[in-house]
Amino acid sequence: MGSSSALRELQRELETKTNDHSKIQKDISKNHQVRKKYTIQLGENELVLKELDLLSDDANVFKLIGPVLVKQDLAEARANVRKRIEYITAELKRLDATLQDMEEKQNSKKEAIFKIQQRIQSLQAGKAKA
Amino acid sequence: MEKTVRAEMEKLSVEQLKAVKEQTDLEVNLLQDSLNNIRTATTRLELASSALHDLSLRPQGKKMLVPLTASLYVPGTLQDPDQVLVDVGTGYFIEKNMPQAKDYCDRKISLLKSNFEQLVEVASKKKSISDEAGLVLQAKLKQLAPAAQ
Repeated sequence: MGSSSALRELQRELETKTNDHSKIQKDISKNHQVRKKYTIQLGENELVLKELDLLSDDANVFKLIGPVLVKQDLAEARANVRKRIEYITAELKRLDATLQDMEEKQNSKKEAIFKIQQRIQSLQAGKAKA
Repeated sequence: MEKTVRAEMEKLSVEQLKAVKEQTDLEVNLLQDSLNNIRTATTRLELASSALHDLSLRPQGKKMLVPLTASLYVPGTLQDPDQVLVDVGTGYFIEKNMPQAKDYCDRKISLLKSNFEQLVEVASKKKSISDEAGLVLQAKLKQLAPAAQ
């Protein structure tokens, strides 16, 4: 029968679309987690930079590398933290862009799923009448 | 303001209200967690501040026991009670003298306190929205219950 095979086809399509949709959802929540991590790091780095900027130029600064404290040049430390902040902000921007992209995809997938569901319903209604 | 929120909620369906309630509850919990974190951080800084004060009272060359682990202590002498290393985060340590270090602790504590106050405000607002949603939801369910019978 033509209509039942079409129905099966639609149902299969619906299944793949829902799978895609849930996959995008997983990616979005992963993106959220990564973003949270970066935001925390950004805040911490900004606090450190504020402290470093408050210091007079002859202050002693150390960096913890593994188990040892290594003395560092203050200017170098400032430059390092600045660079890190730059990197993290760039990374956050990139994550924002991908998130927006994914949300758009998610919405279009949602719409596609809705359309298929409607078609299945109308097909089933037609069959019930017949 | 309160009235308009309530009026908006009356318009929502039961499912939508449930979603709103869940969402705001989630946010309230998140804010509560943040508040707890800030509180522990503040107590840690206050502890550090009082430890600094304690240290500043000791004379140079004072004999003491240094904890290597929780149960192993070795004898030592206080070399320089005025110079301390402050962990400012992300692996950086800054050498400070006593007043600078105390100032650092005080600044951090006041920063945390102001953040805390801001968060408390947001959290209480969210909480009232969540409570409101719960009330409206219950009222709607009560209305629906006799109709179903």
